[in-house]
Amino acid sequence: MTAQVQLSIQKLTKRYKTGEGVTGISLDIKQGELVTLLGPSGCGKTTVLRSVGGFLEPDSGDIQIAGKSVLHLPPEKRPTAMVFQSYNLWPHMTVYENLAFGLKIRKMRKEQIRDAVERALQLVRLPGAEQKRPTELSGGQQQRVAVARALLLEPAVLLLDEPFSALDAKLRNELREELREIQLSTKLTMMFVTHDQEEALSLSDRIIVMNRGNIEQSDSPQQIYDTPKSLFVANFIGRMNMLDGIAENGSIQIQNWELHASPDISGKVVVAVRPEDVRWKDASNPGLAATVKQVMVLGHYAEITLLTEAGIIRMFLPREEALVLSSGQSVSLTFAKHAVYPQSSV
Amino acid sequence: MNGQSVTPSLPTGKSLKPSMFSRGARRSALGLVMVLPSFFLLLFMIVVPIFTSIQESLKGNDGNFTWDNYKYLFTDPAMSSSIKYTIHLTVVSSIMVLVIAYLLAVFLRFSTGRLAKWIERLYYIPMFIPSVIATYGMINMYGNHGWLARIMLLFTNEPFMRIIYDYKGLLLANLWFNIPFATMLLSSALSSIPNSAIEGAKDVGAGKIQIFIRIILPLSFKSMLVAATFVVMGVIGSFTAPFLIGPNAPQVLGVAMQQQFSVYFETGIASACAVFMFAICSLVGYFYIRSMMKEER
Repeated sequence: MTAQVQLSIQKLTKRYKTGEGVTGISLDIKQGELVTLLGPSGCGKTTVLRSVGGFLEPDSGDIQIAGKSVLHLPPEKRPTAMVFQSYNLWPHMTVYENLAFGLKIRKMRKEQIRDAVERALQLVRLPGAEQKRPTELSGGQQQRVAVARALLLEPAVLLLDEPFSALDAKLRNELREELREIQLSTKLTMMFVTHDQEEALSLSDRIIVMNRGNIEQSDSPQQIYDTPKSLFVANFIGRMNMLDGIAENGSIQIQNWELHASPDISGKVVVAVRPEDVRWKDASNPGLAATVKQVMVLGHYAEITLLTEAGIIRMFLPREEALVLSSGQSVSLTFAKHAVYPQSSV
Repeated sequence: MNGQSVTPSLPTGKSLKPSMFSRGARRSALGLVMVLPSFFLLLFMIVVPIFTSIQESLKGNDGNFTWDNYKYLFTDPAMSSSIKYTIHLTVVSSIMVLVIAYLLAVFLRFSTGRLAKWIERLYYIPMFIPSVIATYGMINMYGNHGWLARIMLLFTNEPFMRIIYDYKGLLLANLWFNIPFATMLLSSALSSIPNSAIEGAKDVGAGKIQIFIRIILPLSFKSMLVAATFVVMGVIGSFTAPFLIGPNAPQVLGVAMQQQFSVYFETGIASACAVFMFAICSLVGYFYIRSMMKEER
């Protein structure tokens, strides 16, 4: 926990003419940490990343890498390397030339370059691809080369701008795992931008959820999933049932059912429950009355759609448990875990 | 497969038509018919005249075979100086057009200023002005009593520099006629270079000059070659401007050829001239096609 801060962003503000952008973003990334900026498109995550890379000039604020401000440096002088969303290998160069380009600029010796390129290709599992052209490679392979090119620069911070979003799901998973391995073996500090929550949850040491140019929450994936701090985060990460209720004197009224809550919240609220936290019993038990509408088996688990007076609730159950439920059946629901947000925060 | 010539179709049991009338054969026949007009056009407008010209160029006044026309082409002082003049003009014009067009295209691609926006809107206007009108416009502008001469008269009594009926005038005309098209070609090539390719280069530490030499130039080189081909062909075959504002001697080849044909009625020499021009263009075309094939491998 005492690792030093590698990248520090302080009160970064960048507004476009369209009104989009970011305001007052402050965050620290520690040495060797993989932090994901997660949010819907237009939330400003790419703006932050590109500002760090030097491709955007912020209106105000500071960006420090290893304690030194890099704000005045152009991209080519910054100790950062970027992996772009589109495979931006140079099509007129071979893989070797693509990888060696940056090293040649640094006036590295030929033998050293050859060794470094070979090692980098080994790391991204493409040994022997030196003489191929980018057009001869698949999308996944191209992006591997792009990662290798960034790694070769030995950046202080590696920036990844939705690098796998153009790939199909299976390949995406593979590359995610590989990236994680590379990160663990190289101890590189990485800043990863994505709109794919699954990617963020599986990859990151820490997730920073952004919305409309602001940071909503910055926590470990576990915490982000279990205790979303705002309604936006609750909505954005994972599946969530949202129920309207009224809080008063330490309890929340959802239709005819009363739920215990902390006494410091009152008025109209939204109760958020993960589908896996919904529990059911026979209708004779106390709880939220519901009718089974549909049972859908989705591989190892089943998704059950339930009709209640408060709206539709979805519940995840292990496949075997779902077998006893049939549509039309009346049940009573309770929640193993839930979160409450004031309704005005929508 | 069972040896029968007429097989019953599966769902209806009706016998299928013989293959001569099958859909595939009908479609390929239709395709052939659609190609024929352009084939005949090519045949009668290009191929046959080429052979007639070659035949004509190798015929003396007595109708027998002779190399005399070609000998005349390269030994007659007026004719050979016209050839040298034309080639010189073509090379200089083409290089200037390409350099200017490339600079313009680079400026349009990377500048976000207002000037770039205006140039982008205006630069192709010369393509919409008929060449005759543009040429007379040039006479108006650069002629002995043109605008420029009259304006200069306000400052000096020196005689105005000779532009029209001179090499310089032809050069200006070639720039006028060829820069817009070349710029258009090069602009589209440059705009197809993604920003991320350039940003990637910046990211690995390349400066502006390195990005230009190692990334932008190689990625637009092929289009440069295409533009060069078109410019060379256009300049070497130009007629309107050289006819109206070119010098009387030496002449641009197109004008010289017209004079031989319509003024001196030397069809043999005119034909030899045409064949020679065609040979030069074929050479350029050959290099063009070869480089295209190399790219495709």
